[in-house]
Amino acid sequence: MKDLALSAKSIEKYFHQPQTFQVLKNINFEVKKGEFLALVGKSGSGKSTLLYVLSTMDTDYSGKLEINGSPVTGKTQNELAAFRNAHIGFVFQFHYLLPEFTAIDNVMLPALKLGNKPKEEIREKALANLDLLGLKPQAEKQANKLSGGQQQRVAIARALINEPAIIMGDEPTGNLDSKNTKIVFDIFKELAAERGQTIISVTHDDEFAANCDRVIELSDGELV
Amino acid sequence: MKFKIHRYIPFQKTNHKIAITHLTSNVKQVIVAMLSVTFGISMYVFMNGFMKGVNDTQTGLAFSTLSHVRIYNDLPEDNSNLLSRYVNNDVAVNIRNPKVIQYTEGIKNSEKIINQLKNYSEIDAVTPQVNINVFFRNGSIKVNGMLSGIDVENEDLLFQTSDYMVDGDWHELNHRNDGIILGQGLAKKLSLKVNDNIIVSTADGATRNYKIIGILATTLASVDNSKAYIKIGTARQILSKNMGYVTDIQINIKDFNTATKIAEEINPITNYKVEPWQEANGQLDAANALRNIIAVAVSLTILLVAGFGIYNIMNMSVNEKIREIAILKAMGFDGKDIVEIFLEQSIIIGILGGLVGMVFGYIISSIVDNIPFKIATLDSLPMEFQTVDYVMAFVFGVITTFVAGYLPARKASQVDPVEIIRG
Ligand SMILES: Nc1ncnc2c1ncn2[C@@H]1O[C@H](COP(=O)(O)OP(=O)(O)O)[C@@H](O)[C@H]1O
Ligand SMILES: [Mg+2]
Repeated sequence: MKDLALSAKSIEKYFHQPQTFQVLKNINFEVKKGEFLALVGKSGSGKSTLLYVLSTMDTDYSGKLEINGSPVTGKTQNELAAFRNAHIGFVFQFHYLLPEFTAIDNVMLPALKLGNKPKEEIREKALANLDLLGLKPQAEKQANKLSGGQQQRVAIARALINEPAIIMGDEPTGNLDSKNTKIVFDIFKELAAERGQTIISVTHDDEFAANCDRVIELSDGELV
Repeated sequence: MKFKIHRYIPFQKTNHKIAITHLTSNVKQVIVAMLSVTFGISMYVFMNGFMKGVNDTQTGLAFSTLSHVRIYNDLPEDNSNLLSRYVNNDVAVNIRNPKVIQYTEGIKNSEKIINQLKNYSEIDAVTPQVNINVFFRNGSIKVNGMLSGIDVENEDLLFQTSDYMVDGDWHELNHRNDGIILGQGLAKKLSLKVNDNIIVSTADGATRNYKIIGILATTLASVDNSKAYIKIGTARQILSKNMGYVTDIQINIKDFNTATKIAEEINPITNYKVEPWQEANGQLDAANALRNIIAVAVSLTILLVAGFGIYNIMNMSVNEKIREIAILKAMGFDGKDIVEIFLEQSIIIGILGGLVGMVFGYIISSIVDNIPFKIATLDSLPMEFQTVDYVMAFVFGVITTFVAGYLPARKASQVDPVEIIRG
């Protein structure tokens, strides 16, 4: 119980537009701390939808969700925002950055928001994260001047900044070449193995999935 | 403890940093929003300054013949039932041989009152008057009017009478017990000019002969058509009254807007009626109040329009940045942070627009102040420069931007991040 990073019980979700249809059907699974989990499945099977529920951003579901041993189902939006800030790092499918900010500012923002370290320390950490992903030279560039792959890597650096208990990625390597995919994979692997951070990553990359600790597959909204 | 301190300060700073980045990366929009505030505030400053100028000019013109506060003997108005003061209605009374008794007219102890008035620092000038209703005659022409016995120097202090002389010298009256100065209209009606003689007769039958030593024209034709001035001592002689008898004590104070308050303050020193100008000239006061209402209504309308301008622009900005709002929320910024981020932008726009607006307002006011306008005593359009207008304009402007910016900010805070990110 104590070493569980995440536990999902009977998660169900419906979409009502354009017509009512069940996108997630009785999802039950647990993820241990330090586990590197791949979530696979055909396009449209509900992977992104499930990840939004797990990330606490989507609260419109039934069932019970616990993260790090604390129940998150039923918390208010503001409580969840603070919770995400401290405990969850998220890499979106479409690598959303704040376009008017520099790469390093984008990386720093979640830490500045969390505010339990001095700014200088945050900056150093952000720079180190960018360096890890081969983006040190781009640190001071405005986010919308970076290429798609670079933006995705900045988003990954941002997801790591608060050393969250769980990092969730929705095809985080979808825009990357094989060299950078390898870099990201190695980073995730190391975070899971050495720092005990939990990774849940949607992927289409068979090699990526094959090297994870565990693979779960979604098909038409059900775990198989 | 250390943890807590760190926690609070960067939290504010981060929202501030985001707000500033949004502003500096949308300079064009910001300037348009700022200009709408600038316009509203400069118009507010201008409108109120102009209305105050018009009011003061209007009132100033009236004060060439009207004092700020007047003390006089206010005869009891209703003498039909004097007993009501002493007995209740349910007491039966029997009155035999009722007679109308004469009341004392005028003010007896004027020196004492005038000396006491000199103790008030708000009071600028005091002058006693003996005003008599008379007939002015020249041969067979007879005109009803007012003969005003005045203290030559103090009268001039209050009403700047010497400025209105069209012929002769006001101060000459000091040395001429038989001298009289006529209003221009009155002189014309009687076909008289300087150095002619005029006959004045009172209701009690006293008749005197004076020599015209001057003609004056104030800004009020009705006064000029019926008024003449003699020395106060001479006027007392006609009525056979003692030194100290006056009909009116006229008072000017430093700020005529405070007349009502000062009238109340000096009321206890005398039993006579103390009347501020607002009471005696309700129409002047009403006209001023109406003009002020117009000025406030127009300027608030303009500010409202400016508010709509900001509302629109901030709304547009929120719609444009809806993806960024979703990202911020996904990263852990809550509704309050988002409100702060967008509200701060509006407030900065409001403050910058307000500061520029005050400068523009001053420039517009200065230009209008110099537009030639030669009517009555005016040389250019009237304009009043008052700090309070600038402060009020700024305060109203910032409040408007606050309200206009709050609505889009609240909308931004209610964005559902999943809906946006899901695409
Ligand atoms: N906002 C929405 N409204 C209605 N249906 C949706 C919405 N978002 C996704 N869906 C549907 O839900 C299913 C799962 O979508 P998604 O979770 O994005 O799949 P995946 O990420 O596995 O490709 C799809 O059939 C998709 O069309
Ligand atoms: Mg998807």
